[in-house]
Amino acid sequence: MTENEQVVRTFSLPSVAGNERLAAKKIEELLRPLGLSLRLLERIKTAVAETAMNAIEHGNRYHEDLPVTIETEITPGSLYIRIADYGGQKDTPMAEEPDIDAKLAGIQSPRGWGLFLIHRMADDVRFTTDKERHTVELTFFLVREGDSDFSI
Amino acid sequence: MISQFEADVDFQGRCAVVHLSGEIDSNAEDSLVDALGKAIERNPDRFLLDFRQVQYINSKGIALIVGLLARYPEIRGRIAAYGLTEHYQEIFKITRLMDYIFVLRDWEAALDFINH
Repeated sequence: MTENEQVVRTFSLPSVAGNERLAAKKIEELLRPLGLSLRLLERIKTAVAETAMNAIEHGNRYHEDLPVTIETEITPGSLYIRIADYGGQKDTPMAEEPDIDAKLAGIQSPRGWGLFLIHRMADDVRFTTDKERHTVELTFFLVREGDSDFSI
Repeated sequence: MISQFEADVDFQGRCAVVHLSGEIDSNAEDSLVDALGKAIERNPDRFLLDFRQVQYINSKGIALIVGLLARYPEIRGRIAAYGLTEHYQEIFKITRLMDYIFVLRDWEAALDFINH
């Protein structure tokens, strides 16, 4: 890839429960030639699956005829993944930061980890809406295989 | 894609080992609650969750595990996880599930936990 080159690929999936896993699998196939570290790849897959799951469930409300569209843009230093649904009529809800102590004490619901994981897995997350379509853009700074150890 | 999940329990000494396999998402609830319930009934000293055959855990699966810790407070401090991939160990860390479930990184540590 040259300094100014970018590669854009787009695919769509019907809004069926479980298709978020297919989205993650397709992203993995698209990214395989880049030789990304396992750690980064797993973070990307989790962020994509969680975002796609939200798009299917909350954006498109499991309407099978409404697709979730996923666009990947690969530049030499960054990967952008844009996941769009038809939930643009409503604003993205501000999610309460999950607190496991509060959840175990019964103060918060055990749920609510999706947006938290998306924000923790991606380097940047942006939400946009054009009143019809709602798009989540995930940004990942690319690190090549061997550039970092997989350590917690 | 329909998710598949199974949970089985066996007892090794005073430790209940819950073997998990497949995908842990919202569909796993009934099986997981059933398995953990059976384990708790026998009143073991410790619980080991065996994740070696688990391919996928999503946010709903995390919620499920948190829900079980909320539902069965008596197991906190006595429960460990073995066989999590490094990615899911990271997720257990950032969600702070690791504060409530010991994460065992190798089989020697798991054996030690079982036989403690």
